[in-house]
Amino acid sequence: MAEIAVGIDLGTSNTCVSMMQNGEVKVLENAFGERTSASVVHFHEDGSVEVGNSAKAKVIHAPAQTVRSAKRLIGRYHFSEEVKKAQAVYAYEIVEAPNHGVRIEIREEEFSLPEISAMVLREMKQIAERHAGDNVTQAVITVPAYFNDNQRQATKDAGRIAGLDVLRILNEPTAAALAYGFGMGLNQRVAVYDLGGGTFDISVLEIGKDIFEVLATCGDTFLGGDDLDDRIIDLLADDFVGKYKINPRNDPYAYEKLKLAAENAKKALSIDEETLVVIDEVMKSAEGETLGLERTITRSEFSQLTHDLIMRTFKVCDEALQQSDLTVRDLDGVILVGGPTRLPMIREAVAHYFQQEPRGDVDPDEVVSIGAAIHAASLVGEAPDSMLLDVTPLDLRIGVAGGLAEPVIERNTPVPIEQTRTFTTFQDHQESVQIRVYQGDHRQADENAMLGQFEFSGFSKGLRSDVKIDVTFEINADGIVKVTASDQATGQEASTQITLSSGLAEEQIERIIEQDVAGRVATGAKAESAAQKQIAPITINGDVPGATAAKVDFVEYSPFGDGKTDLSEGFDNDIKLGDVSEAELDLVDDDELIQLTQEADMDIGAEGITLEMPADQAPDDDDDGLFETSGGDLAGPQIQLTDEKK
Amino acid sequence: MNAAIDPLEISALVRIMDELDYYQLLNVDPKASTTDIRKAYHASSRSFHPDANRTLNEDLRGHCGNISKRITEAYCVLRDSRRRSAYDSKRAEGDSLRIKLADAKTSHTKQRKAQARGATPQGRQFHAKAESDLKAGNLAGAIQNLQMALTFEAGNVGFKALVAELRERRKASSERPS
Ligand SMILES: Nc1ncnc2c1ncn2[C@@H]1O[C@H](COP(=O)(O)OP(=O)(O)OP(=O)(O)O)[C@@H](O)[C@H]1O
Ligand SMILES: [Mg+2]
Repeated sequence: MAEIAVGIDLGTSNTCVSMMQNGEVKVLENAFGERTSASVVHFHEDGSVEVGNSAKAKVIHAPAQTVRSAKRLIGRYHFSEEVKKAQAVYAYEIVEAPNHGVRIEIREEEFSLPEISAMVLREMKQIAERHAGDNVTQAVITVPAYFNDNQRQATKDAGRIAGLDVLRILNEPTAAALAYGFGMGLNQRVAVYDLGGGTFDISVLEIGKDIFEVLATCGDTFLGGDDLDDRIIDLLADDFVGKYKINPRNDPYAYEKLKLAAENAKKALSIDEETLVVIDEVMKSAEGETLGLERTITRSEFSQLTHDLIMRTFKVCDEALQQSDLTVRDLDGVILVGGPTRLPMIREAVAHYFQQEPRGDVDPDEVVSIGAAIHAASLVGEAPDSMLLDVTPLDLRIGVAGGLAEPVIERNTPVPIEQTRTFTTFQDHQESVQIRVYQGDHRQADENAMLGQFEFSGFSKGLRSDVKIDVTFEINADGIVKVTASDQATGQEASTQITLSSGLAEEQIERIIEQDVAGRVATGAKAESAAQKQIAPITINGDVPGATAAKVDFVEYSPFGDGKTDLSEGFDNDIKLGDVSEAELDLVDDDELIQLTQEADMDIGAEGITLEMPADQAPDDDDDGLFETSGGDLAGPQIQLTDEKK
Repeated sequence: MNAAIDPLEISALVRIMDELDYYQLLNVDPKASTTDIRKAYHASSRSFHPDANRTLNEDLRGHCGNISKRITEAYCVLRDSRRRSAYDSKRAEGDSLRIKLADAKTSHTKQRKAQARGATPQGRQFHAKAESDLKAGNLAGAIQNLQMALTFEAGNVGFKALVAELRERRKASSERPS
C-alpha cells in the first residue's frame, strides 16, 4: 500500500494542497472545485468553523468573527510591530496572553495562532482525504524562507494540532525550485522571486540533477500584496475623507469594504490599464445618509503609489546576490512565485532588474505546494530522491553584556549545523547561568527577534572562571533552533527546545489536541464555554523578557585570557575584545547601511576595540556589583564576552 | 528515501569523526578546488543528510545527523577562500582540526558592506554625507545627497530604496500635526 504524504503551502492569503499519485503531482481541488482556498477562518455562532473562500466572503458582514492573514501574527510577540499594525486594521480581537504571547478572542473564546492555522490545515487534510479516499496524516508544510525559529516552530505546532505528522518544514522558494527542476536533469543557477500576500522571499539556488543547493536567501516578512492593497486603501480613504470629512478607517465594516475593493482593483490592474472602483455604500453618515465612493485608478498611478515597495524587494535581491557571490548575469532562470507577480509592473521590474524575462511556465499560485508534495512523496519513498540543501536565513546570536548580541551562526550558513561556545561563570559558586538567544542582523540585541532564554543549572560549582560550560547551538534541517548546555567537567547535560511566550508549551499543545480544536472545521461542534476551555499560563524557561533586568552571570571562557582581569573590566561598562583582527573589525563595523538610531561610540585603540555605551544607556552597578539595565529593556546584559584572539 | 550507506560505515565514521580534519571529512585533497569541495559536500549529503536517512533506526539517524552537521561545517569553511586560508594556517600549526565559524569571517562580508556604501568614489562620498545628515536629523539634506549619489550610481538599488524610505518618513513627519 502506497504511503500518502501531502504538500501544503500555508499562505498568508491562500492555502494550496497537492499530492503525488502514481508518479504525478496533482493540485487538489476543494469541494467547490477551487485549487486554492483562502486562509480565512470564520467562527459561527454555534462554535463551528468555516475555512476558505466562503469564509473570506463573510469578512464584510462579520469582520470581528473572521480571522484572516493569521500568518502575519504566528510566532510573534504581542509587543511586536506587526501585532500593533494588525490591531489597527483587523476587526477581530487580538489579546495578550501570559508572557507576551498573542491570542485571538472570538465570542469570548481565546485561540492561539497555531490553533487558527491548524483549522486551515485541517481543511486541507480533509480535501486530501476526499481525494485519497483514505486517512492522510503526513505532510510537508512550507514557510517563507525568512521565517525565524519562533514562526517555524509555531507552524509545526499548527500541523500537529491539525492531526498531521509534519515530515518537514520546507522553505517556500526552495519548494518552488524543486517543482521547477525536479526530474529535469538541469544544471542551472536560478533565482526564485516570491512575493506573496504578506511576505517577500528571494532565494538563489544551484540546481544540479537531483541536488538543489540554496546559495543564499533573503527576505522581508513585512512585505506583500497586503501592502499593495494598503496603498490603494489609503488613496480611497483620503478621497473619502476629502469628500465627507469622515474617516472610514475607524469603522471596521467600512474598512473591510475598502480592503476588498482595493484588492479587486489591484487584481484588475494586472489585466487592464485602468479600473473603476465603485462602492455604493462605504458607510452611513451620522444622519443616516448613504456615503459611497467612485474612483478611477490607472496602472501608472498604482505603480507610483507602490514604487518604494517594489524597490524594497530589489534591495533584498541585491543582498541575496551578494551573499551568493553572483551577479544577475550568472543566473540561468528567474522563477516568479506569488499572486502579486501576476502584475505586469512587477514582471517588468523583475525582468529589468535581472536582465532577463522570468520563466513563463510556472504557476505562481501552485508551484510551492507542488514542490512540497514532491518532497513529501520522496521522504516516504514514493518519488525519486532529491536533496534539498538549505540555509538559515538569519544570524543566530547570543546576548552579551551591553545589550549586544554576538553572532554564533551567520545567516546563509547551510543547515543542519552546530556550533559550540564555551562560557564560564561570572561569580564564585554561581549556581545557574542564563542564556538569551536571538535571530536577526543587528548588533543591538533588542533589534533582533528573541527566540528564547534558558537557564542552565546543576553544573559543578566552583570558583568563577573555573567552571566551564559548553553551550551548543544547533539549527536542524527545518531551520528550527535548539540550544543545549553541558558541564565540561562532568559532561552533565541540560537541554531545552527553545520556547518562549509566543510559543505553546508541550502540555498546552497536548491539551489542544485532546480538545480537538481543529475538529470544529469538520463537525461544527458546539462552542465550549470559555470557562470549559481553560488556557493555562505559558511556562517559559527563565525570566519573562522585559519584566526584570537580567544580570550578568557568566563570561565566555578563553583558554588564554585571565577571566578575573576581564571581570574587573566588565564593570566599567565596556566590552573589550582582544587583538584587532580583521574579523573583529568586521564584527564591530557590521552595522546597517545607515544607522538610524543612536549607537554606541566606537574607539579603536592600539590594544583593542572598546565599545563605550552612551551615558544614558550605561548600566548601573547595583549592590552585588552586577549590571542592571535601566528601564528593564529586553536587552539586558547577560554575558561578558572575553573572547580573546588565539 | 532510503539511506545509500552501510550502517557499519556510519558507526565507524561517527567514532573517528573528531580525529578527522575538514578535508578528510569531505574526503577531498587539501589542494582540492572549490568545485570539488562542493561536489564532495553533495556526495556526503546524499548519504548523511537527515532527509536521506528516514528509514534507519533512531540511533543511526542520530549518528547521521551528527555527521551531517560536521560535514556542513567543513563545507562552510572550505568553500570560502578567506575562511579556508584561516583554517589552513591553523591546521598547519597543528592547532586544531576545527574552527569556529564566527571567528573566521567570509570573504564577502567586507565586500557586501563596501557595496552598500557605494561602488564609486563619488557615490560613497555623497552617501557618507547623507549618513551624517541623517545623524544630524536633516532628512531633506540626506535625501538631496542620496540623489547626488544616485547620479553617479544610477543602478544602486540600496540608495534608491533608502531615498524612497526617507521620502516616506518626510511625508509622515510633515503630515503629523506639530
Ligand atoms: N492577478 C493578481 N494581480 C495582483 N495581485 C494578485 C493577483 N492575484 C492575487 N493577487 C494578490 O496576491 C496576494 C496573495 O498571493 P499568494 O496567494 O501568493 O500569497 P500567499 O501564498 O497566501 O502569501 P505568503 O506566501 O506571503 O504567505 C494577495 O495580496 C492577492 O491580492
Ligand atoms: Mg505563498
